[in-house]
Amino acid sequence: MLMTGQDQEQVIINELFKSHSRQRSALIPILQALQVGHGYISEFAMQYIADCLNIHAAEVYGLATFYHFVNTRPKGKFIIRLSRDMSSMMKGAKVVARQLENDLGIRFGETTPDGMFTLEWTSCIGMNYQAPAMMVNNEVFSNLTAPRVHRIIEDCRQEFSSHRPTVGNVSETYSNTTTYSSYKVNAALTKAVTMTPAAVIAELTASGLRGRGGAGFPTGMKWGLAAAAKGDRKYIVCNADEGEPGTFKDRIILGKHADMVFEAMTVAAYVVGSREGIVYLRYEYSHLRPHLDSVLTARRQANLLGDGILGRPGFDFDIRIHMGAGAYVCGEETALIESLEGRRGEPRNRPPYPAERGFNNCPTVVNNVETLASACCILDRGAKWFASMGTDRSKGFKLFSVSGDCSHPGVYELPWGITVDQLLDTVGGKGAKAVQVGGYTGQLVPARQFDRKIAYEDLGIGGSIIIYGQDRDMLQVAENYLEFFIEESCGQCTPCRDGNVKLLEGVRLLQSGKCSNRYLNDLVSLSETIQLTSKCGLGQASPNVVVALNTHFKEEILARPVLGN
Amino acid sequence: MPSETCIAEAGTVTVEPDVQMVTATIDGIALEVPSGTTILEAARTIGVHIPTLCHHEDLRPAGVCRICVVGVEGMRTLQTACTTPITQPITVSTNTKAVRTARRHIVDLMLANHYGDCYACKRNNNCELQALAKEYGVDFFRFGHPTEPKYPIDRTSSAIVRDMNKCVLCRRCVRTCNEVQGVGCLTVKDRSARSQVATFGDKPLSSVVCINCGQCINRCPTGALSELDQTDEVWAMLDDPTKHVVIQTAPSPRAAIGECFGQPAGTSMTYQLNTALKRMGFDAVFDTNHSADLTILEEGTELILRLHSALVKRDNAVALPQFTSCSPGWVKYVEHFYPEMIPNLSTAKSPQQMLGALLKTYYAEKNGIDPKDMVVVALMPCTAKKFECNRPEMCDSGFKDVDFGLTTREMAKMISESGIDLPNIPKSDFEMPFQDASGAGQIFGATGGVMEAALRTVIEMVTGQKVEKFFDRANIVPVRGIEGARMAEITITEVGPVPEILKHLVPDWEWLRGVTLKVGIAHGTVNARRVVEDIKAGGPFSECHFIEFMACPGGCLGGGGQPIPTNAEIRAKRAKAIYDLDEAYAVRKSHENPIVLQLYREFLTDGPCGHQSHHLLHTSYTPRGKFIS
Repeated sequence: MLMTGQDQEQVIINELFKSHSRQRSALIPILQALQVGHGYISEFAMQYIADCLNIHAAEVYGLATFYHFVNTRPKGKFIIRLSRDMSSMMKGAKVVARQLENDLGIRFGETTPDGMFTLEWTSCIGMNYQAPAMMVNNEVFSNLTAPRVHRIIEDCRQEFSSHRPTVGNVSETYSNTTTYSSYKVNAALTKAVTMTPAAVIAELTASGLRGRGGAGFPTGMKWGLAAAAKGDRKYIVCNADEGEPGTFKDRIILGKHADMVFEAMTVAAYVVGSREGIVYLRYEYSHLRPHLDSVLTARRQANLLGDGILGRPGFDFDIRIHMGAGAYVCGEETALIESLEGRRGEPRNRPPYPAERGFNNCPTVVNNVETLASACCILDRGAKWFASMGTDRSKGFKLFSVSGDCSHPGVYELPWGITVDQLLDTVGGKGAKAVQVGGYTGQLVPARQFDRKIAYEDLGIGGSIIIYGQDRDMLQVAENYLEFFIEESCGQCTPCRDGNVKLLEGVRLLQSGKCSNRYLNDLVSLSETIQLTSKCGLGQASPNVVVALNTHFKEEILARPVLGN
Repeated sequence: MPSETCIAEAGTVTVEPDVQMVTATIDGIALEVPSGTTILEAARTIGVHIPTLCHHEDLRPAGVCRICVVGVEGMRTLQTACTTPITQPITVSTNTKAVRTARRHIVDLMLANHYGDCYACKRNNNCELQALAKEYGVDFFRFGHPTEPKYPIDRTSSAIVRDMNKCVLCRRCVRTCNEVQGVGCLTVKDRSARSQVATFGDKPLSSVVCINCGQCINRCPTGALSELDQTDEVWAMLDDPTKHVVIQTAPSPRAAIGECFGQPAGTSMTYQLNTALKRMGFDAVFDTNHSADLTILEEGTELILRLHSALVKRDNAVALPQFTSCSPGWVKYVEHFYPEMIPNLSTAKSPQQMLGALLKTYYAEKNGIDPKDMVVVALMPCTAKKFECNRPEMCDSGFKDVDFGLTTREMAKMISESGIDLPNIPKSDFEMPFQDASGAGQIFGATGGVMEAALRTVIEMVTGQKVEKFFDRANIVPVRGIEGARMAEITITEVGPVPEILKHLVPDWEWLRGVTLKVGIAHGTVNARRVVEDIKAGGPFSECHFIEFMACPGGCLGGGGQPIPTNAEIRAKRAKAIYDLDEAYAVRKSHENPIVLQLYREFLTDGPCGHQSHHLLHTSYTPRGKFIS
């Protein structure tokens, strides 16, 4: 029988719906699955999928154009995405970019005429330790150099013609996650089920554990709120959308200690009374998926997931993995929930908070990967042990992803309360000009403040440390940050959407010596407005770098040589 | 700051008995509000002004423009007043340095992306962005101002023009299209500073699923959305001495156009408008209510025939419930979303099109005018009427039955251009032969009005009794109201003789004795969708015999061509004006309209749903579906 292209798409989509529910939350998974076979989502496919889900085609279009990893136009067989985070830039991403452009004969944003390669920039892919890095489709290649890039492209061509898949190449990341490494899997779960949910919450609260994603909300309280919230259905969501530039500790935890994350989710389910857990895994970490799936399968076989966990009737809980689609803002918990529901990842108005009304309007616990792993250790070794580390308001230890100008980048387990200086000592970063503490949304700390403590009392952070050496240009740093925030802003609220563009224009004016002091003051004032009025953490933190530039590095912007003269 | 105490007035904020009261202090003024009241609502009860832009009473709060930010004690960042509920005692300040600076910056940022000059904009003096700029004393463009347009203007639709250069991304249109209308034509595409209000695939409006209802225009704070302006074309016709230009006016614009001339909502301008139109050069002004009365007779007869086939002939193929077809937005909605339900749509044309067809035949013949030299203009509350009059099937007179559909706003502009002070000119009558109509035609403008008009006629025709016997002053209150979807039942306890006009169609009414007539009413397309889904699922609405559907909230009086702004309060006032006028009519039932009866005697001689009326007054529909290529 002759079939038109549309008939074929229809058949494929119908087939996909056999393994996906006809609910809106299946929208992104369906688009992703269709894209695997089909390369991109055609207009017909969007309309047909919309029809199947009983939503409007325009809604599917709005969603598809929101996420970076959903293609609404045909792209190359190999989509090369080069990470443009600051660590990559410092380690030669620009040279790699030039090599890619020259090798392929196209510019970024273009596809080769033969339809083989598409070249794009992408936000941080969690490979800062081995920067520069890029993705070729779902495979990651790190420690790139110009000659290596050339070989990778040649390999892609050859492997395509010989029908062999291209396999990524990532070397080991240095990590000293000693506490997690010494943890005996399932110690927390077996202990927790002998306790009442209230006792588990009390233990967590006593430990002083706060959310490790960056916002620092007390974890015990979050579980307590969700446990107290009314609702037949409750959800435990693991936020594995680790997108903060310079952060890769969650990747290490998921790679080495995935059991702990799933275990803590199971404990959370026991505490709040949930039957369904979801890991929201950023698309850039697709390479972790097979490993995570195998861990989940093993846990199901060991009766640690599924019905009657540990032989306890009624303790039913399972976990599924939901892939993100390339949007940093989905690390914000309400945006993440919107994304889970099959919508554009735009943060919600709060209240209500997710613990009260989250996924599908049900009480939902959203915890960062590291928070969950820490919860396991706390339940195993006791709140006292955990609280004995750190400072008054910052208890326990924390993983830091360290990259940039230092001799020993990697993931470090360190107690809260150490100074920036101490940290630089540990990682071989002495003599730095500035340190970005807490990723792009954190604080840019100048050398004269290296005695500041890394703790919620002072520099409370999500875990990313980027070290800038003496010859780094802070205006370039600011430009890179702002380009990132502009690209990753969801675009719903005015100050973040439009304000950051003005800040970036301002930084470029500074670079070219065309920004008056008066306008600079306007921009600093605008920065405060963006911080005060944006809906979510992304906007609220996006102008930090401009404020830091003005406060700490003013001599660098006022007396700089003008570009292009 | 002196501390005052006042209690939110009952009626401003509805107090449910079991809702807790919470104390709030706003700018030093303490007040008690029901828990869950937003800061914005609370502030309004004590006269504290908080600016808004993305907020609209008809829509769910979005909190995206951020202009309404206020300081809340204990919060690090400013909070949006429109989305923040007061659930525990709070202290709010709306006038601090941070708040003022932030609002000014937000206006500055919007202006930095808003292309266009105020004096070359339809919304000049009626623009929320312009008003905010004034409120915050904007005297220069702090963050620049675009000098070139970024996007081409989409003029492809026969009803709506989209100029995204003026869009400030408040998303009111998107929310209207999805929440209120359920059409889902508009969405937000892309992200970050690239995000933009868009149609599916960024296609021109004429080729996507749009029902032309224009509700997006009514909620647009700027000039980004407007109706396709045809005033110049109408002026050209008026200025052409060879043309005989006539106009028909619908009840809703007459009840609302005063708002464009500083009158409070709900001021009827019917007869001043007649004077104005004649001064502007229209050769004759007619009342669309006549064809509304005709619609009742045609659509009512069609219903009786359908019921007769179903109840007496036991014909299962008859499509019931019958849907009204006078709202062109609704008709296109059915064609797109429920093409399988097209048989349920009454084949009767809308009043605009019926009168158009009659003017170019009956009126032309009577007055010895060659219809090719005639221009029929319709003053409507509606943008979809522009699309409707351009439908290829609307040429039954042998010419385009209605040449131009003008919105209330376009007409207000033409009147201003003419230098006419509408509220203060003498009143005058409509022209013969379509002069004094009935109150039944009048209430077509309000939700439930078509149903009430139909029932007045059906009850009298079937029972042979005065409707006043069953309903005080012929006000069929059960079908009135504002609920988005509602039902009413009327049991026919007695039957009378079949009136002359219907004798050739049914022999007697005995088959209707004891039958309970079930009717439904839906307004706002999202409610229409609910009703149709309910019918398809075999729910209560599937038992209805007749359902009135209006695409726009509130019915025509809330139409997409009506003066801006619109909200529930304004719609209620317009509705009151319409119902008050109905009561003032001497004739309040369509079948008693002497002109309509004369028409059936002289012109449509084979009666309602007869051959001639089928030719001129009925139409067919086009299954369109949702898929576009």
